[in-house]
Amino acid sequence: MDYILSILIFFPAIAGILGFVVDKGSAKAYGVSVAAIELLLALGLWASFDTTNPGMQFTEFSPIISQFGISYNVGVDGISLFIVIMAALITLLGIILLRDDTKNMKNMIVSLLFLEMTMVGVFLSLDAIIFYMFWELSLVPMLYIIGAWGGPDRVYAAVKFFLYTFAGSLIMLVGLLAMAYLFHLESGIWSFNLLDWYTLKLTTNQQFWLFLAFFSGFAIKVPMFPFHTWLPWAHGQAPTIGSVILAAVLLKMGTYGFVRFSLPILPDASVTFTPFIMALSLIMVIYTAMVAFAQKDMKQVIAYSSVSHMGIIMIGVFAMNAEGLGGSIFLMLSHGIVSGALFMLVGVIYERTGTKIMDEFGGLAAVMPVYATVFGVMLMASVGLPLTIGFVGEFLVLLGFYKVSAIGTILAGTTIIIGSVYMLALFKKSFFGPVRHEKNLGLKDLDRRELTALLPLVAIVVWLGVYPKPILEPIDNSVKALLVQMENHAQLESTKEAIIVSKKEVK
Amino acid sequence: MENLVYIALFAPFVGSLFAGLFFARSPKTHLVGVVNSSLIGIAFIAAVTLALHVAEHGAVHVTMMSWISAGDLSIPFGFLVDEVSVTMMLVVTLVSTIVHIYSTGYMNHDKAYNRFFAYLSAFVFSMMILVMSDNFAGLFIGWEGVGVCSWLLIGFWYHKEDKTFEENPSISPSWAANEAFIMNRVADLGMLVGIFLIYWNVGSLQYDVVFNALPHLADGLLVSIAIALFIGAMGKSAQFPLHTWLTDAMEGPTPVSALIHAATMVTAGVFLVIRANPLYSLEAVHGVSMFIASLGAFVAFYAASMALSARDIKRIVALSTLSQLGYMFAAAGLGAYWIALFHLAAHAFFKALLFLGAGNVMHAMDDELDIFKMGGMKKVMMGSYVYMGIASFALAGLPIMAGFYSKDAIIETAFNDGSFIIWAILVITAGMTAFYSFRQVFFTFHGEERYKALGFHPHDMYKYVLVAMAPLAILAISFGWFMDNFHEFITKNLPDYEMSHETHHLAPYLGGLVIVLALTGIFIAWKKYAGKGANAWKRDEEFEQSFIYKLVANQYYVPRFYDEFIVQPYTMASKKFWEIDKAVVDGFVDLIGKMSYKSGDVSRGMQTGSLSAYLNWMGVGALLLIVAAAITALIG
Repeated sequence: MDYILSILIFFPAIAGILGFVVDKGSAKAYGVSVAAIELLLALGLWASFDTTNPGMQFTEFSPIISQFGISYNVGVDGISLFIVIMAALITLLGIILLRDDTKNMKNMIVSLLFLEMTMVGVFLSLDAIIFYMFWELSLVPMLYIIGAWGGPDRVYAAVKFFLYTFAGSLIMLVGLLAMAYLFHLESGIWSFNLLDWYTLKLTTNQQFWLFLAFFSGFAIKVPMFPFHTWLPWAHGQAPTIGSVILAAVLLKMGTYGFVRFSLPILPDASVTFTPFIMALSLIMVIYTAMVAFAQKDMKQVIAYSSVSHMGIIMIGVFAMNAEGLGGSIFLMLSHGIVSGALFMLVGVIYERTGTKIMDEFGGLAAVMPVYATVFGVMLMASVGLPLTIGFVGEFLVLLGFYKVSAIGTILAGTTIIIGSVYMLALFKKSFFGPVRHEKNLGLKDLDRRELTALLPLVAIVVWLGVYPKPILEPIDNSVKALLVQMENHAQLESTKEAIIVSKKEVK
Repeated sequence: MENLVYIALFAPFVGSLFAGLFFARSPKTHLVGVVNSSLIGIAFIAAVTLALHVAEHGAVHVTMMSWISAGDLSIPFGFLVDEVSVTMMLVVTLVSTIVHIYSTGYMNHDKAYNRFFAYLSAFVFSMMILVMSDNFAGLFIGWEGVGVCSWLLIGFWYHKEDKTFEENPSISPSWAANEAFIMNRVADLGMLVGIFLIYWNVGSLQYDVVFNALPHLADGLLVSIAIALFIGAMGKSAQFPLHTWLTDAMEGPTPVSALIHAATMVTAGVFLVIRANPLYSLEAVHGVSMFIASLGAFVAFYAASMALSARDIKRIVALSTLSQLGYMFAAAGLGAYWIALFHLAAHAFFKALLFLGAGNVMHAMDDELDIFKMGGMKKVMMGSYVYMGIASFALAGLPIMAGFYSKDAIIETAFNDGSFIIWAILVITAGMTAFYSFRQVFFTFHGEERYKALGFHPHDMYKYVLVAMAPLAILAISFGWFMDNFHEFITKNLPDYEMSHETHHLAPYLGGLVIVLALTGIFIAWKKYAGKGANAWKRDEEFEQSFIYKLVANQYYVPRFYDEFIVQPYTMASKKFWEIDKAVVDGFVDLIGKMSYKSGDVSRGMQTGSLSAYLNWMGVGALLLIVAAAITALIG
């Protein structure tokens, strides 16, 4: 198990390179096998993961450019473990859902496997340069997926996605370099090691500027209001598989960045910026939920709802207590599962009818009952019904945030109302009422391929809604450790006060 | 005993899975109706056994497993069967069993019979979680669970198309379902805030821990918690201004209306206030409790006034439910928790009976709801006539009947408390209740047989269904006789409410006043609506044009108000935001892109390839540098 993390990162990429020589007809089978092995490896990682240890596990360290302190350095803790597993799961199910007649199937599989490497790499990296490399590399396969398999405006959407996020990332890179420079000033050695950075005490002024630099990279990725407009374009043009991975995993890179970089390295600035982040997040939650309600295209509803839910995650990240932060990590996972499933479901109906406009459907519940049921389960998870996966994270985030701001919680809590407004409106328009077009009467219900991709997600939605403990416990341990680290590291008394690891200790 | 708790809780769930997983693909399997009804019956028997056990040995408390733990928060799946919850369990399972059996007949010809039973049993399961949980988060599971089941069941006939508000005030089943869900969610936010407040100040959500900690909390905090939780209660129990969903919920199949929107789910709010009685009986939150009582009295009157002129048989019953919920809140707000619970149980029995009777009428009349089109149906539907008569007598609160004991106790409580305004409103409402209940009975079963001209051929419900309804009829008559036993049982858990000696001797007169008013109401209804031939009722077109009639018939324009001032502005704003998102937010991004593109385009002109042009540009550049250096030197 010594090199399991490296295997997890590079196995899909190596398999992807070998994939070029695979026969065209068996490309999908090859992709499924590789993704399945990757998922098994990820589950194996979980099995051998010590859930009581809140720190980094399975760490690997080998210097690359030692005079600049750049090294290949990876590790996993309770925060990243499940995101990696989710990335592997979503990739596998996404590949399963690919239609056999997808054009250039081989290129698609290779792109997806490369994408999987970059995603896993981002979440496991403990070295800023390695992190940045995976972060930027993830753009390439996605650019290709949107640009090659997308809708009519795919080139515009793909370029917009690429340039926008790339611009933000470059500013983040400046921040990372500045950070290493500051570390050098302080200690005399160069290091891009995150764990080294965690020990560095920065002045509030330095923290302020570094926070802004990191923010521009992470916030565009999340995407936070007002940097979100690339997302509806990307989703609108991306093929189903692209949207699924984008919503489920790629967006989480942004919020994960805040958790891994901004909070522990810049605790004072994180607390200083909290009102600013809160304001943006609340706008995200409410404004984009309203925009989602105005949509006519089913996929755009889900796209905007993603932004709205990412707002809740952001609120939890900056709640600065174990409930809120733990809840937001859980919500990253649950949003990945639920939004991934919802984009798959939109893809299913789009493949059958060639449209995503809700007014064109109507009465689908009678024509496609199984499809309607799966959609209904995901809808309920999306609006945060208790005993589904969606409730746990949302509840914990709002609960944690209440300590920060009661008014803010009420505003953010409107998500349970306006979230159900746009989702129920979507469901009513598409699934209820009479069937509006006669040709829709003959639509086929979910077939084996689609059920294979969707039913595991349904099972997870219920399982983790009823019994979230196996996941929540390791997350909670690592989150508490992170908060303790922040508290010890903070310069200002006010920061220490804002961070609540456990209120029992405070009293 | 632990096993019995799980049997009572999970038997309905098993039924729901049985119908949902194995039979969802076939439209109708008789077995599903039988198995699901039996499973609910088993839950009822378990509840009875538990009740006997609780009466003798006290509460049973089980913890199944932990649910959510993060930070300091730890929420288990824990279940508490004490006097209060076992009463609710008995009411829920008994009414549910009968409604299940009833549905095997009522839904006999429906295309989605199995799906119906899957939903109905799931509802019972959610309701059991709601009443049995030993903490606020568990309550919230049930709370949301019944919300979803209610959404599924109101929208059960989802294929129906949206109508205009004039044609059908509920628009369509799917519309009504969404309205119910969303309106309840508004209230749920209040409930969540209450839960957050409790957690951050007590550190636990377990009832016992929270209630023990209450005396140590600040007054303002207690008031906030009480208000927040009551907002939650207002949604489920459809209190003004969150009441419009309840009448629209009548779009669902009638057994659903009987079970969910009359007997059980809508009482969840009352249950919450009763459950949290250690909070609401504190001196510090007296103001909130008085508000609850006043709002209850207001809703009792408000709903009754709308029922006076309603024509839709189900809406009348729904409005009377709303009105009776007001009575329950009035009692709970005044601190008479056990009386509120007693009325809750009594109401569940006679209201379920009334609804199922109304269902029989609808079934006979091919889903016609307009009582103007009925009349004289007692000849063809004797069984249903007797049942609805009994239920209406009980609702009107005539002596011997269940409603007499429970409602009278509430009215006396108001008098005893010195809240004479509330008392007066409740007394007047009692008279109105008698009038509109019997207006409906006479319209339906007496007078001219108006349905004949319209070509209906009504026939009564299946015999076995009528037999299955009998327990409800018996309880509607006799439940009040056990008031003293109930009092003894329940006050082990709930605070007793003693009538003071100064007013108690007046009770017979007060009770008499109510009876006289009720009888007057029935008499007026008889005079106006039960006559035949020359005395037969005629439509008063002129009155129907009057302002007051229109006001009431349009539900005081509250649904219109919501549409004009909430729904439409929200939709408008959403569309505006979308335009802004595209034009301004995204426009700005594109502008930056265009600017860099344009500047590149313009500066391309410099790259002519001619050496002399490059030299010129070099000169310009050098000049600029010198100027810049000079300026810095001057400033520096």
